[in-house]
Amino acid sequence: MAKVQVLNVAVLDNPSPFGNPFQFEITFECMEDLPEDLEWKIIYVGSAESEEYDQVLDSVLVGPVPAGRHMFVFQADAPNTGLIPESDAVGVTVVLITCTYRGQEFIRIGYYVNNEYTDPELRENPPLKPDYTQLQRNILASNPRVTRFHINWEGSADKMEDSENVDPSPNISSMLPPSCIPGKMPPLGLMPDNSMDCM
Amino acid sequence: MKLLKPSWVSHNGKPIFSVDIHPDGTKFATGGQGEDSGKVMIWNMAPVLREEDEKNENIPKMLCQMDNHLACVNCVRWSNNGLYLASGGDDKLVMVWKRAAFIGPSTVFGSSSKLANVEQWRCVTILRNHTGDVMDVAWSPHDVWLASCSVDNTIVIWNARKFPEMVTCLRGHTGLVKGLTWDPVGKYIASQADDHSLKVWRTVDWQMDANITKPFSECGGTTHVLRLSWSPDGQYLVSAHAMNNSGPTAQIVERDGWKTNMDFVGHRKAVTVVKFNPKIFKKKQKNGSSPKPGCPYCCCAVGSKDRSLSVWLTSLKRPLVVIHDLFDKSIMDISWTLTGLGMLVCSMDGTVAYLDFSLDELGDPLSEEEKNSIHQNIYGKSLAITSTEAQLSTTIIENPEMLKYQQERQNSAQTNIGPGCAGPESSAPKLNSVMNGESLEDIRKNLLKKQVETRTADGRRRITPLCIAQLDTGDFSPALFNSAPILPSGSSMSNQLTSQLSSDSSPGQASSLGLRPSHDPMLTSPPASSIAKGLEDNKDGVKPCLLLTSASKIEPMKALDSRFTERSKATPGVTAAISSTAGLTPLDSRPKDGISALKDIKSKEDTSSDSEDKMATINKNLSFSKRKPELLMDGGEVVEKRKKGRPRKEKMAAPIAQPFTQITPPAEREPSRVAAPPAPVAALKLPTPSIKKAFSLQVSMEPSVFLEVENEVSVVAGSKLSQLRCSRDGRDWNTLLPSSVVTAAGSSDVLAVACQDRMLSVFSSCGRRLLPAIQLATPVSAVHCSSHFVMVLTAGATLSVWDVQKQKALVKNESLLTILSGADSTVSQSLLTQQGVPVIGLSNGKSYCFSSSLETWTLIADKGDSLVQCADFRSCLSTHDAPASSGPLAVMQGRNLKYDINIKSPILNTSVFLQIKCHKEVSLKNLSGPCSAGRLASRLSSTPHHLQQSMTLAFLENQLASALTLQSAQEYRYWLLIYARFLVNEGTRRPLFKVFTLSRD
Repeated sequence: MAKVQVLNVAVLDNPSPFGNPFQFEITFECMEDLPEDLEWKIIYVGSAESEEYDQVLDSVLVGPVPAGRHMFVFQADAPNTGLIPESDAVGVTVVLITCTYRGQEFIRIGYYVNNEYTDPELRENPPLKPDYTQLQRNILASNPRVTRFHINWEGSADKMEDSENVDPSPNISSMLPPSCIPGKMPPLGLMPDNSMDCM
Repeated sequence: MKLLKPSWVSHNGKPIFSVDIHPDGTKFATGGQGEDSGKVMIWNMAPVLREEDEKNENIPKMLCQMDNHLACVNCVRWSNNGLYLASGGDDKLVMVWKRAAFIGPSTVFGSSSKLANVEQWRCVTILRNHTGDVMDVAWSPHDVWLASCSVDNTIVIWNARKFPEMVTCLRGHTGLVKGLTWDPVGKYIASQADDHSLKVWRTVDWQMDANITKPFSECGGTTHVLRLSWSPDGQYLVSAHAMNNSGPTAQIVERDGWKTNMDFVGHRKAVTVVKFNPKIFKKKQKNGSSPKPGCPYCCCAVGSKDRSLSVWLTSLKRPLVVIHDLFDKSIMDISWTLTGLGMLVCSMDGTVAYLDFSLDELGDPLSEEEKNSIHQNIYGKSLAITSTEAQLSTTIIENPEMLKYQQERQNSAQTNIGPGCAGPESSAPKLNSVMNGESLEDIRKNLLKKQVETRTADGRRRITPLCIAQLDTGDFSPALFNSAPILPSGSSMSNQLTSQLSSDSSPGQASSLGLRPSHDPMLTSPPASSIAKGLEDNKDGVKPCLLLTSASKIEPMKALDSRFTERSKATPGVTAAISSTAGLTPLDSRPKDGISALKDIKSKEDTSSDSEDKMATINKNLSFSKRKPELLMDGGEVVEKRKKGRPRKEKMAAPIAQPFTQITPPAEREPSRVAAPPAPVAALKLPTPSIKKAFSLQVSMEPSVFLEVENEVSVVAGSKLSQLRCSRDGRDWNTLLPSSVVTAAGSSDVLAVACQDRMLSVFSSCGRRLLPAIQLATPVSAVHCSSHFVMVLTAGATLSVWDVQKQKALVKNESLLTILSGADSTVSQSLLTQQGVPVIGLSNGKSYCFSSSLETWTLIADKGDSLVQCADFRSCLSTHDAPASSGPLAVMQGRNLKYDINIKSPILNTSVFLQIKCHKEVSLKNLSGPCSAGRLASRLSSTPHHLQQSMTLAFLENQLASALTLQSAQEYRYWLLIYARFLVNEGTRRPLFKVFTLSRD
């Protein structure tokens, strides 16, 4: 059973200009005192097409965490515009908040983010090169997508107690399986099958 | 009788395994399967009872749902005082729940359903001891103990006043324990298991009082649960599934002498659950008739796999009512209301039904006084006597728990007089606020500025979170009622919810409450309600439509969706997770139970030297005694062979959770070809398969790979071409070979094809030729593939194994003469494990594997081994370990062993076996000293235990060594567990210590 339950994430300063820092107020509850810190990360997905453009905006350690209910504000700088493909600057993308304990990710909270020009003129005729100063970032805070993973709270990642526990456990039924994504292969790593069959 | 199926009580169509009505009758709990976890749900009873409440949208139906169990919940039970809920599930855990002190989130964060949790139930303790699925839990009278039973064959008694303390573990069942019931008098607990027995245990010394087997001897283990029940007067115990004249029954067991003369018959399939009405009834007095003192009787509901429900009165010979087709699937659990007139039934089909009886139908329930006087008359003292403290104090104090209970009752009775009698429900919430009266709103405004942020030594940001509430977990003492909750004004976090769902909550309290249960919490919140505010923030902040209408972006959004569920690459274990779904052998695909197989093997490697020496000596003794005839021929070599193999470490890193492919050699598969003329080479020892025009085989299930061979499809320039066609997951490829194909084999990774010209070709399952053709010295006898290993057995009795991936030979032309010599036996079976360990079974019943690290043949199984016949470890077997029977060791040892396990009376059979054995050979010389066969047998019947123990130990140690050599992690674990259990059961402390030191590191 997960020792840490995220109870709420409030998106602060939203909507806001593109350059403003992200601010999430996170409320979580912990079943018992945690001997180690939690590590939180904000990941900005620069492009839907490739994980290459993912930016870890910041990561913080949170601790000590005694049993009880806690809250903190996680603030992270806006993404580096230089790393975002120009074609993906305007439109819908995703920002992720992940939390890991002892190197194991146990929750992933995703929000859709819409970046749009506020000026109707620009909206109609967007400039070829995105003008980030005019962009507004709007996080769809009412619809977080939360995926929880079972992890081994007692030990580190290499001691996963149960293969069943590894499977991602999305609690949103409408989620598409990763295989639906064109041109994106799951990171199959060192599969011998793969290495053999590169024809 | 009224019947209702409230359709809103559902686990989204998933099976509901358990139902229990709260003692106060206001709510009930269900347990079962959730989306990806076990699920416990708490429901409001009012909408079930009254139609107007069902229609009233202000009355919540679902009160709380808890997804904390990792796997299916098999049982939910309220404590008798209603304060706690216990749940047990397939995740081997028992969780105990308590109403939370402060309001939690009104919804589960991120959950798609917007249903609010009206009540907050928090898991206050997790009871871990079972090594298998927990099937049933039961609170003792007065909640002194909580009992849980499991498929690990044990029953654990927990100290319910001091969780997670364990009082005892009841061992004795030899099958999955699937039901529990406490004696209302307090003297016994009864359990029913798949081992065809119902056992009654005393609570005084926790020893078995009765073992009832006769009515269950015909039963098969076909039911998911066996929920038995004890009548409220304590006189009868009624079992679940029993058989009488090959018809399913519910057996009535009389308390007096545990007689089994009566049963409830009529169900067409096994009875899964029996539940007595908590009330004792007497016949309703009809107007005008003379007040004849009718005999009190009990009422019992029986649910069955045949989907029907029957309700019986012990005063009637026939059932009061039988309801067929109430459900689409088996009935799983029944719960009566404390009033005795209502009953909830749940089914595997995911629905529940409510039955409402009238007094006319059941009779007049006896009052508590009348019930007490019955108990008083029958038992003198009984825990079922409830009315006064005075009576309780006269109860015989049978153990410390009861004494403690009695003292506590007296204490609480005194404190109750003090600060006004608050009910346990309303007093349960106890808040420890740390906010010093500051409102949460103020805190939130300044949180970013105020929160402490430091830098760690390596320059990383570290935030100290603000603690806004402490937990009140671990509070199991009966609540002291003088601790008034501290309620910081305006903070919704601290607001507590009244337990009463109707509007009669005390006005004083209600004024300080932010939320009222009968309202939607999100709408009625006072200005400071933080969670609701948070949600409002969100709503105000965004215009969702704005975001989601950009049609041009639908494609990338689909792509983005995956990001929500995929773990980041940085997370360790992610590759393992993915490759496990791809059917490989990753690190994490380990057996479910606590100690991982990998660990077992590793620890085995670290065996302390003295234990290893001991094992070695035992092994030597055994091999000497057992294989004397061979010893004469082969000299000292035999002892050498028996040395324990030490497989290479890097191979150990891949545990054997995956099935291995096993293909019997063609010689055996097609008997017609056994007689085929031997190939021209004179030195041939092994049969070769004959050439067929065409054949096909399926080499792998997942992914499905089919192989088709057609010889002599065409003749080009004098050479006959053969075609090899392969279909992998629907994709086809084919290739041509210049010679006729003799035999072929494959795994999900590789295909190996042996041709008449003694060429072996190896392809990937996608059609790429992985190696140039390999020239073999003699024609092929058998080919096996497993994972990325290829094994070839040639007619010249040599064995080769290649690792295709590393392009390395593991076994190089190893001669089988070593194992074939001396005996006129041939190879009857050969296989290759997933780890590339070749195993050869001979027609004389011996099986060998070639250890590439030792470069020697090791004997892993011998069907003629007397130890196999004599070893008795049945008491240490638990059925849920059964998967190990599919490992390579089990395959080679075959049905012999299994048959042996099934023999019912161990000692008798062993002596018979021994007699036979002793006439045949002098195999037991070393163990029992020189004595004639007859004397041995007679000695055995008088003192069989010592000898048998030694033999079993020796056998188990053999098994361990064999499993280790085969690198069969699962089987190693399986045998190690049996070994450990056997040592525990036999009380042999010294070797057990050894096992512990093994498994510790």
